[in-house]
Amino acid sequence: MAEQDLDALLKRMARARVPRRGFLAGSGLAGLSAFIAACTPGASSSPSASNAASSAPSSEPSSGGESPSAAASPSAVAVTETEGTLLMYNWADYVDPDNIEKFKTDFKVTDFTYDTYASNEELLTKLQGGAAGQWDIGAPTCEFVKAMVEGDFIEKLDWSKLPNAALIDPQFQNFYKDADADLNNYHLPKDWGTTGISLRTKVVKEEVKTWKQFFEVAPKYSGRIVVVDSPGDVFVAPLKSLGYSLNSVDPKELGEAREILRAFAPHVLALNSDTYDAQLANEEAVLGLTWTGGIADLVDKPETADTRYVIPEDGTLYWMDTWVIFKNPPHPNSAYAFLNFIQDPAVQAKESETNRYATANTEAKKLVDPKVLADPTVFVPDDVVKSGLLEGAQDVSTDPLRQEIWEEFKSSIGKH
Amino acid sequence: MSTEAQVLTGARADGGRAKARIDRSGRWVEAWLRGHTLLVYLFLYLPIVVVVVFSFNGTSRRVTNWEGLSLKWYEFVIGSREVQKYLLNSVIVGLATGIISTIVGTMAALGLQRTPRWFRAPFDALTYISVIVPEIVIALATLVFFASTIGPEGLVTSVGWKIGFGFHTIVAALSLFNISLVLLLVRARLSGMDRTHVEASYDLYGTPWRTFWQITFPQLLPAIVAGFLLSFTFSFDDYVITTFVNGSGTSTIPLYVFGQIRKGVTPATNAVAAVMLLITLSVLIVGQLLTRRRGATGRDTSVAGMIAEQGA
Amino acid sequence: MTSPALAQPRPAATVAAAGRWRARLLTGALVAPALAWYVILLVAPIVIVVLFSFGDRGKTGGYVPAFTLENYAGAIAKPEPFFTSLQFSVIGTILCLLVGLPLAYFIATRARKRKALLIVLLVIPFWTSFLIRTYAWILILGPDGIVGFIQDLTGNTSFRILGTTWGVQLGLVYGYLPLMVFPLYVTLERMDRTLIEASKDLGAGRWATFRQVTLPIALPGLITGSILVFIPMMGEYVIPQLLGYGQTFGIGSALYLRFLEARNWPSGSAMAVFLILIMLIVVTAYVWFTNRGRTVRDVSVV
Repeated sequence: MAEQDLDALLKRMARARVPRRGFLAGSGLAGLSAFIAACTPGASSSPSASNAASSAPSSEPSSGGESPSAAASPSAVAVTETEGTLLMYNWADYVDPDNIEKFKTDFKVTDFTYDTYASNEELLTKLQGGAAGQWDIGAPTCEFVKAMVEGDFIEKLDWSKLPNAALIDPQFQNFYKDADADLNNYHLPKDWGTTGISLRTKVVKEEVKTWKQFFEVAPKYSGRIVVVDSPGDVFVAPLKSLGYSLNSVDPKELGEAREILRAFAPHVLALNSDTYDAQLANEEAVLGLTWTGGIADLVDKPETADTRYVIPEDGTLYWMDTWVIFKNPPHPNSAYAFLNFIQDPAVQAKESETNRYATANTEAKKLVDPKVLADPTVFVPDDVVKSGLLEGAQDVSTDPLRQEIWEEFKSSIGKH
Repeated sequence: MSTEAQVLTGARADGGRAKARIDRSGRWVEAWLRGHTLLVYLFLYLPIVVVVVFSFNGTSRRVTNWEGLSLKWYEFVIGSREVQKYLLNSVIVGLATGIISTIVGTMAALGLQRTPRWFRAPFDALTYISVIVPEIVIALATLVFFASTIGPEGLVTSVGWKIGFGFHTIVAALSLFNISLVLLLVRARLSGMDRTHVEASYDLYGTPWRTFWQITFPQLLPAIVAGFLLSFTFSFDDYVITTFVNGSGTSTIPLYVFGQIRKGVTPATNAVAAVMLLITLSVLIVGQLLTRRRGATGRDTSVAGMIAEQGA
Repeated sequence: MTSPALAQPRPAATVAAAGRWRARLLTGALVAPALAWYVILLVAPIVIVVLFSFGDRGKTGGYVPAFTLENYAGAIAKPEPFFTSLQFSVIGTILCLLVGLPLAYFIATRARKRKALLIVLLVIPFWTSFLIRTYAWILILGPDGIVGFIQDLTGNTSFRILGTTWGVQLGLVYGYLPLMVFPLYVTLERMDRTLIEASKDLGAGRWATFRQVTLPIALPGLITGSILVFIPMMGEYVIPQLLGYGQTFGIGSALYLRFLEARNWPSGSAMAVFLILIMLIVVTAYVWFTNRGRTVRDVSVV
């Protein structure tokens, strides 16, 4: 309990942006902090840390699942001097252009390189193939962090250089639980969203609030159902409708899920991750297992205003894209400077508005445009977040049984 | 083709005697050929028309959602240094691969005819294999190969020669398929080609160098141009190989577009396409006009004219 | 490449040996770059793939050295994707030929001065991002496009092209047509008009002339074109995914699944090695079959 209170206090202080020198001096910790700074190799190698006498990087956060790792370094000091270059490897158009310009001006970065990848699998395969060491930072989806740590492709984050990390909601920072909790020291949440049910209420009159109901009405709308082409998301529906974890690799549970998918496959019109919203728009599909992207646009348009996005009440997946620093980054200072910069509440709020995904930064959330904040496809209502309905995805895509079921599903959709 | 067959068998029944009949069927065939060509070009350009129309799409996120006319994506492209860089990278990759593949492929096609059989058979096998290997497989294998040689921990790097990934790895990897493409094209052209002109030139004591440029090269030109166009086209818009062997700062337009899939592909690329189309078409039209004018006064010296004259 | 080095063997017997040597040097110089490319960027990666195919999958993906035949056993056990792709490729190649041959013939023999323009116009659409063009097809063939129109016209609401094999076939033909047209064009373009006239003067009809004069001349282009079209269609992944609504599971999808989603390189490699072997046999047989009876007279024109 005491630890949590301390966390809260420290977070409040970080928010209040007390000049750290004053705060530390006042609390009589200045000497200690200077001592720690001198002892921490990571800190002394950074130019900004060495000239900031009061920087007090806390000891490495414990690997226990309880304490939020980011909040464990309240006296962190941001990197202000960069190498002038930042090499980013990311999804396309995933950072607000104005924020990039602001970063370039504020941190005197003249060469901001933005390369793009199209899937986590591609990124990981590329790293496993040996293409590491070329970029500074990236933003994979969080479940891939595990394989990236195991492959030694990403750096453990030095929280002492990321004061804004204290603003991240611990629920999201601590994506990994229990034995994997140390993995949370390798990533900094970027944004997150859900997988759910999309429907055109004009056509689908039944109540579809759960995955169970989704499968019940599926035969009625046979040939008018669109599903994202992503095994991690498709497995959510049968497993959750049965009340199992969406990350299950239990053969018995997967066997039950397989039966549901077998019955479901013939009714599917398309496996489509790119243009499912277009199919919903022209009513080629009226029911979908989809992500949130594009759905808000449909709701906004009068002709398709009957479109609804439902977060199933029997639970669903939340995904989270997260910032990582690649192993041996060519420009480590730029990397830390950017990660801290992007979590500045004002900057982060703009990110949320541009990308239309929820931020995990509690301070930034307060600054987000209320219209975006009220959009259920962007921000999930707080009570839903707290209810435990959302489950983070783990990297189980390589499980042989899951693969077999997925391959079977893929090759039997639309076939009666 | 069945139409042609019917018409033609009909014509043949009368043999050469019924000249008028043949002429009439000939007119039909001519009309059909022209109509077919027109239809194919319509087929090729129909999606491009849609692409251009959707470049004016006012949607904020997804290209497939039509939300009224707007120039915002043109503004975005003009203002976005990123997109311009991706486009420039694509052009660099396309041109470099096109030029290298065309030269290497043409040389190989010419040299291969002079090689003994024991060499040609395995070489042919390699040519076919380079076309057969699925792109994802060659992309990954090439990445592993590059990584273990010139990558950060590769063999070559360990002896102090830092090469790394970049345009050179993309172009080298893409050139493999495209060299074979050019080779096959030029060889199809060479196959059974008449050597009499070449021999005549030698008999007239033309040097081999001059003979090549004056006799052989012009005969090969259509294949060379075709090879260049195809290799430019396929490397400019390549996704799989490029995404696996690129280095920092060398993302191309297709990587950008595929990278958008997660969030929804925006009409930005439509605007890029429309601008490119505008530029290429105006270059072509101006070129065509110039050719026509020169054609009236005298010899046509443009590349277009040169290719055209080969057939005359 | 200076002129002395290029000297051809001349009748003079005294220089014959030196000339032959020079000729060999030239041959070597011409072939060397392509050979280097093949050895470094084809043979080496293929060796890697073959090594992978006998290996084990790493814990988080990738490859661990081992020697097992399991991957091959797995590849043989599931041949369906291969046959699915085969069907698409064969039909796609035939369609490309039916569309491409008359087009190439027209450009080569009828277009005169517009030849170059028509050839360039043939590839310009392909300078637009593939994904964007495919989206355009989705719009054209979708319920708000041509298909919707046909549905309204006929009252048959179940009619559709997207999500059927025809949608995929259309996409394949659209995507690979230039690879068929260009080889046909470069061979047909060389055709001597006098041959056709001679044929006609001898009383042969158009069809006979086409069959006995035009087709044999076009044959090398036809072979090249079909190979260039057929093979990439076998491995095609995105077109079936988008225009076929993912309802077809071909060899391209299977390879992507193994290499990327499952991160099982050995299993994917075994499948790829199999594919390469089968295709090599098919292609060799095809070249041999179409060339049989022709005395291929390759002469050096350098």
